[in-house]
Amino acid sequence: MTNTSAALAVLRKDLRLEVRTGQSTIALFALSLLIMVVLVFALDPKPRERFDAGAGALWVALIFAGVLGATRALVAESESGCIRALALSPIDPAALYAAKLASALIFMAVAEAAAVGLIVLFFNLDVGPQLARVALPVVLGTLGFSALATLLAAISSRTRAGDLMLPLLAVPMFIPALIAGVKASGALLAGAGFSEVGKWIGILVAFDALFVTLGALLFEYVIGEE
Amino acid sequence: MAEPVVETRGLTKSFGITPVLRGVDLRVFPSSVTCLIGANGAGKSTLLRILGGFGHPTTGTASVFGEHSHSMTPAIRRSIGMVTHQSWLYPNLTARENLEFYASIYGVRDVHRNIDQWLERSGLAAFAGERVRGFSRGMEQRLSLARAMIADPRLLLLDEPFSALDPQGVGFACGLIKSSVERGCAVMFTAHVALEIEGVNIDRYEMVRGRLSQYHEEVKRGRLRSLLGR
Repeated sequence: MTNTSAALAVLRKDLRLEVRTGQSTIALFALSLLIMVVLVFALDPKPRERFDAGAGALWVALIFAGVLGATRALVAESESGCIRALALSPIDPAALYAAKLASALIFMAVAEAAAVGLIVLFFNLDVGPQLARVALPVVLGTLGFSALATLLAAISSRTRAGDLMLPLLAVPMFIPALIAGVKASGALLAGAGFSEVGKWIGILVAFDALFVTLGALLFEYVIGEE
Repeated sequence: MAEPVVETRGLTKSFGITPVLRGVDLRVFPSSVTCLIGANGAGKSTLLRILGGFGHPTTGTASVFGEHSHSMTPAIRRSIGMVTHQSWLYPNLTARENLEFYASIYGVRDVHRNIDQWLERSGLAAFAGERVRGFSRGMEQRLSLARAMIADPRLLLLDEPFSALDPQGVGFACGLIKSSVERGCAVMFTAHVALEIEGVNIDRYEMVRGRLSQYHEEVKRGRLRSLLGR
């Protein structure tokens, strides 16, 4: 049994649980819709402001989806103490972290797909190359936030006020990547080239590398110790 | 003499300023059954949790198959089956799906035959397709025991394995312990009272406020008589 096949087994189990209960998908879609409706009416953006407003709305949706997605990816393990069973199993903790990260990423991606559709609709954006170019900062931001939130969700799931702890810890730590993501997305939507947003993309890449590495290294201690 | 499967030396564990284990010395060998008897809060579960790798000793050492219990390799972890107060089962998966999941992460061969066998032995074959969420506590306990056995462990750590079980379930748990010992497995389990398993020699230890000592039935009877004023 390789770590890859064990990690895939964990991922398959997470997806099966999600398909069966639908808890995350429904909640994430409802949340995305709520955020878009609130923001579009609160901001009422002028035609030239709609790129920045749309980018801001997308990243707000990304953060809320990330908190919910990461929580859902770990909550099934907290129920009945299953995280202990995984810690005692022969799976490498880094592979287990990768599986949980992949689950959180998939949950977030579903929410973001819904959010992008709603942004196009509510902020009157064109579906075309400009929108496609935003995919890069969004994918990088999603990976970074999932990496951070998965690690922190594993910690907070063991505390009494776990649901409250996760956003309190994750959102402030994500601020550098959030600023970079919003700036890059807004500029790309407005027609800027990748060379103009290089420094923001660089921050996102560095954030991803840092927290994916930290998560893989620290997950063992997060799930093992009592 | 065979190498001990479990060895603790001067093991202590404190949570904050509260000592839970006080200098526990214990050796457990293959093909043996060790029962830790004690009241609630005596430290039995804490000892098993440390042996399962969940927590460092405060002082002293705890080793499993010759490795520190808190830094076991995947191969050693694969050799341990554990049942705790929590079932470690996914409520929204069926009994069969739970066993399939654990069999897949342990790399069990001949998965379907193994799972069919454990569902049959645990008396849950008729409930294989039902979600665990709808199980009674006793059914969960049986499935939890089957889960712990799915990868043929060489060390079984069972925290109150007979709790919530009906007579048929107790028979299943006793049979499981007996067959495990016969194939060379070391079994450690906790209980509140001394138990007998037919055809199995049990090494009994008493745990009182974190201290471990040999259990003597005569002493216990004497204490009971004095408590009853006779």
